[in-house]
Amino acid sequence: MDKDRLKIGIYELTGCAGDALLILDCEKELMDIFNAADIQSFAMAKSDNINGELDIALVEGSVTTEKEIEELRDIRKRARIVVAIGICATLGGIQARFRDPEEWEENYENVYGDTKMEHTKALQSKPIDAYIDVDHYLPGCPISKEQFLYFFTRMLKGNPPEKYPIPVCVSCKHNENDCLLNRGILCLGPLTSDGCSSVCPSCNLPCVGCWGPVEGANSSSEYQLLLDKGYDADLIKKKMADYSGTKIAELLDQLKEEKL
Amino acid sequence: MNTIRIDHLSRVEGNGGIIATIDGKVVTDVKFSIYEGPRLIERLTVGRTPEEDVSIVPRICAICTLSHKNAALRAMENALSVKVPPKVILARELMHMGEMIESHSLHIYYLALPDYVGFPSAIAMASEYDIEIKIALEMKEFGNHIMKVLSGRFIHGENPVIGGFGKYPTREELTWIKNRAIQFMPFVLKTVSLFCELDYPDNPEADTLYACCEPGDNRYGFWGEEILLSTGEKLSKDDYRKLTNEFVVPHSYAKRSRYKGKPYSVGALARVNNLGERLEGKAGRYYEKYFDERWTKNPLFHNAAQALEICRCFERIPQLVDELMKYPEDLPIVDYTVKDGKGTGIVEAPRGLLIHHYEISKGLVENVDIITPTAQNAEDIERYCQIAAQKLMDEGKKDTIADRMNLIVRAFDPCISCSAHAAEIQEAPQENWKERLAEIRKEDPPIFVGVGNPSRSDDAAGLELAFALRKRGVPDVFIESEIKDRRKIWKDEDRMLIFLDAIDFREEAGKVTLIPLTSVLNNASLSHRILPFLAVNRNPGKLEKACVLGIQPDSIEPGNRISPSVRQAIITICAEIS
Repeated sequence: MDKDRLKIGIYELTGCAGDALLILDCEKELMDIFNAADIQSFAMAKSDNINGELDIALVEGSVTTEKEIEELRDIRKRARIVVAIGICATLGGIQARFRDPEEWEENYENVYGDTKMEHTKALQSKPIDAYIDVDHYLPGCPISKEQFLYFFTRMLKGNPPEKYPIPVCVSCKHNENDCLLNRGILCLGPLTSDGCSSVCPSCNLPCVGCWGPVEGANSSSEYQLLLDKGYDADLIKKKMADYSGTKIAELLDQLKEEKL
Repeated sequence: MNTIRIDHLSRVEGNGGIIATIDGKVVTDVKFSIYEGPRLIERLTVGRTPEEDVSIVPRICAICTLSHKNAALRAMENALSVKVPPKVILARELMHMGEMIESHSLHIYYLALPDYVGFPSAIAMASEYDIEIKIALEMKEFGNHIMKVLSGRFIHGENPVIGGFGKYPTREELTWIKNRAIQFMPFVLKTVSLFCELDYPDNPEADTLYACCEPGDNRYGFWGEEILLSTGEKLSKDDYRKLTNEFVVPHSYAKRSRYKGKPYSVGALARVNNLGERLEGKAGRYYEKYFDERWTKNPLFHNAAQALEICRCFERIPQLVDELMKYPEDLPIVDYTVKDGKGTGIVEAPRGLLIHHYEISKGLVENVDIITPTAQNAEDIERYCQIAAQKLMDEGKKDTIADRMNLIVRAFDPCISCSAHAAEIQEAPQENWKERLAEIRKEDPPIFVGVGNPSRSDDAAGLELAFALRKRGVPDVFIESEIKDRRKIWKDEDRMLIFLDAIDFREEAGKVTLIPLTSVLNNASLSHRILPFLAVNRNPGKLEKACVLGIQPDSIEPGNRISPSVRQAIITICAEIS
């Protein structure tokens, strides 16, 4: 029977473990997931883990130590398809805030002082595609259950996952929310990839951008709009970078050129 | 050197491992390492707005996300002098209960129970324990549901904000939660009986200090303004540093804490020990029935305490819903202006005391200090593992050490992304002490302190050795009886301090061992009167900078004759050092 089931491994690098936890949070579907696929490795859920050949590896978390690079390269070697799950694996996550190495080092020393770590060397946080080829991305902080199950069932049938090339605003309109930008609130909905069903605007709160930038987002227009609302340029840029790591840095640099 | 390594402690949330080092028959060292890389969380929100901070910091941990949210909100509201109305407090308490139920039920059923019934995972357990697995799933789902209704989603919900909530649950949603909690009671009681009656092994047992929030008003609760210790001492939340004294160890990216130089424990067991008598209703009756002395010194009872807390939460939820219903559904977020200030917020995360501290300057976060439960428990996790491992060694059950250490680590329910996955045994190579001594001496010259009893035969070995070293002109050699002020020997904090002593490792007489001081202090079977005394007042971060060069005595009976093998060891060491 195991011959027919896809071999799947779920791995956690540095992060909050929220994406792996969200898979455990699929309570009703969890048994079905474990029955439909051959879960070879899932450290959070079981202790009899095997590190062999895989059809799909789901990797959460960003890379922040040399040991994790080795682990990641080993996963890549063993897996036919590698999927980055969650914003940390996709973009580096909140811990990828520091852009240049000097800034990171300064902050690292601020936390750990000069204690020399014995086990592995720390690195500036980077998404997994900084080190290996990644086949698919499932962003979110954390990923959403619906999005995961949809992705998972498609993969089980051998179909590639569908992208979400729409911003949060689309589902926000479906949910019939009032636009927060109209109320002068700094909302990142227009720039952010959907997948959460506009959870924050549905609570009358602005989108914080935790799914990362949506493909083809009109960043300069949103930036101009927020400037017109009286928000400080620096504040807007910092907010846009909160969840999107260093990858959004280029985008932010372009904004600077256009407006100044 | 023989090492027991559990690399990837599976079934704990996050990435970590535990390594026990065994030298002959002595467990010389246990290290609980967090392999997860550094995230520099406390630096991420510096320069960000308070609103961004309370959105970002809960991402420290997916399981404790709402505890982090509550701690951050309480700290930030203190810093900004925001007063929230009673409905906000009630809604936050309900939200917190959701997380407690979710986290505790996930932990005791999925992560801990498989060990006690002999399965590699909850999934594998399902064939024999289908009812338990079903209860666990539904209980966890219920906790998740509460979290989702109150916070916006299962994990990292953004609905709770400074000054209130973006949206409150409707009366229908609240009623559903209340009814479901009541319907669940029979299963909750089953859970308490199951986990309070589990056959917890008696090893490890050792006293420790328990710390938790003092909820006030003689209540059992999950936050407060003071920290309560099992000694009865209370500390204001603003004085939290007196308890935590954080320091860094070289084998982990998670920081450590000691109180007055000693490890302490936080978590469900700490709360039940400190506050259990305040439990009411069925939880109170179960506490009366099951709580006994074993709960005060055996960390494995964490799981029983968690079950008791699940009961407490299920009984509290209907009360909370009734109180919440008294208020109108909509309540605007409290208006506030961002001003400079500092504030601390303390809450009980499922795995223990969680502290957030912020300083705001010019409208932006200037300083952040976050102390997580796992950071506080790390020292006790190592200590209890060492005690258990040594006892199993003494009983000749070396092959069970790895499993027992796994059980202990898992009982503490470490949330390793607070900054651990499985165990390894290391066997010390013969003559290992020479290499280590050479390494130490490559840095600054060490300070030597000879200790022992001159009228108990080989117990004088440390003193004899110290005299011999002095004779050969080795600098900075102290003798126990000559030390009037023990602070003096700890003065040079960066220099290694080496105690010279006769220690009973149950080895061949004359065998020399060099081990960290902490492993002697943690080792109940190496009962030692003077070293703990000399170790007091040492900066806990610098305890790593002390070790013991021990010689196995032949006899410590009254007398003044040193046996030939011990004499030979003294000569060998002398030759090595001078």
